[in-house]
Amino acid sequence: MLTIAFDTATDVATSALVWDGEVLGELRSRPVGVLEDVDALLRRGGVRATQLEGIVVGTGPGSFTGVRMGLAYARALSLSLGVPVAGVSTLAALAAGSPGALPVVDARRGEVFVLDGEALVCRPEDVAASGRLLVGNGAVRYRVTFEEHGGEVAPDEDEAHLPRARFHAQLAQRFGAAEDVEPIYLRIPDARKART
Amino acid sequence: MILGIETSCDETAAAIVTRAGEIGSNVVASQAELHAEFGGVVPEIASRRHLELVLPVVRRALDDAGTSLDEVELVAVTRGPGLVGALLVGVSAAKALAWSRRLPLAPVDHLDGHVASLYLEPHPFEPPFVCLLASGGHTSLLDVRSHSSTRVLGRTLDDAVGEAFDKGARLLGLGYPGGAAIDALAREGDPGAFEFPVARVPGLDFSFSGVKTSLLYAVRKLSAEELDRRRADLAASYQRALVRALVERTEAAAELIGAERVAVVGGVAANSELRASLPWARAAPLPLCTDNAAMIASAARWVEALPYPRYLALDAYASAA
Ligand SMILES: [Zn+2]
Repeated sequence: MLTIAFDTATDVATSALVWDGEVLGELRSRPVGVLEDVDALLRRGGVRATQLEGIVVGTGPGSFTGVRMGLAYARALSLSLGVPVAGVSTLAALAAGSPGALPVVDARRGEVFVLDGEALVCRPEDVAASGRLLVGNGAVRYRVTFEEHGGEVAPDEDEAHLPRARFHAQLAQRFGAAEDVEPIYLRIPDARKART
Repeated sequence: MILGIETSCDETAAAIVTRAGEIGSNVVASQAELHAEFGGVVPEIASRRHLELVLPVVRRALDDAGTSLDEVELVAVTRGPGLVGALLVGVSAAKALAWSRRLPLAPVDHLDGHVASLYLEPHPFEPPFVCLLASGGHTSLLDVRSHSSTRVLGRTLDDAVGEAFDKGARLLGLGYPGGAAIDALAREGDPGAFEFPVARVPGLDFSFSGVKTSLLYAVRKLSAEELDRRRADLAASYQRALVRALVERTEAAAELIGAERVAVVGGVAANSELRASLPWARAAPLPLCTDNAAMIASAARWVEALPYPRYLALDAYASAA
């Protein structure tokens, strides 16, 4: 199966062209430019968009706007090309890139998204960091807090901190209707929160 | 065929328009109900809804026009101004649709879109003219010289007039969106009952924050019972003040540049008193007053389209340059 995978949930977007498990190419860019990378990957691979058989998209959690961009790309491509879509959590893809590590994505406002059994949003000091290796831009941002709590964070420039689309492709299982692939926000909008 | 997509505020819209300006379809999914409980558009809630609606709306626009993506030659999308998070949903979908088919993409300015609502069949209104753009997001006077050349003569210094309608409706305990609610209630009231002076600012600019404050004071002075009794008078007087300000400035603009023809576009162009107060002006057809994608596709006919792959990193912008 020839698939294109991408994730725009964090500041560094990732994309990969994967053919039956073989990674033909992987690139990183800004979320708004990820289609440039997708285009480059296809051209380098000598592949036309119409030959794609599946789309894999990172569903967050991360920047709300970034997550939505990825899903809008995926759903539009699915409509246009008539191919199915699979969604993969950004945290799960991070974890797949560093087996055993705790994936942590910066959620801004002094909080992080973390996948510890389940995906949740919490303050860095509430993450069970002790004795764990932490990866992701949230791990880098709150390195001091996590290290104080007995956690270990890979060096800042370690690529384990970045989502890599090859792992999204690897984790993708159920391909189906694009609209069934939903964004993972983990937070309700502030305006709603004020009412509940 | 041109496929237009619009997601700048709280309407998710897609349309099919031909190069000649015939509307094949014009689908608008309004989110007004979703935002009603907040009395205004909540950007994050709007953006989430746009993502849910944008592809279904595109699919319906194609179906309604009896066409398919295979017939589309150009994708047009609102790039700004508006809510960036909301705009990016439409821009991303448009980029992906265009890229997958190697189509060109026309990034359209939302204000040009409103003006281009006048250029659609069956009764196109052609430049030159002076155009009043009055909506929830904008209040501007434009000198429209040609399809692709527009100069801003004046704009609001604070609230947009549509916002002034919404805020007034909230003060009067009416629903959202407020324009339609005030328009309906005003018919039962006396527009001369209250004096709500609109601030006169120099030049051709507008200011609506003062008139909103005078409505607030008037409402505060009344007991709950009196307010109930005089609500229609308040609505009528408030609407009269807003419309008068729009009409005066529009006439002044036309006189200043010697324009013989005047047009009114945008959501507030649907207001019955405004339409009646400018009987000689051309008002946009009612279905094209509020935000829609037919006007975006229409404007795209005079925009330099970006060929594949130059639009792949296209971003949205929040405010006018
Ligand atoms: Zn508008």
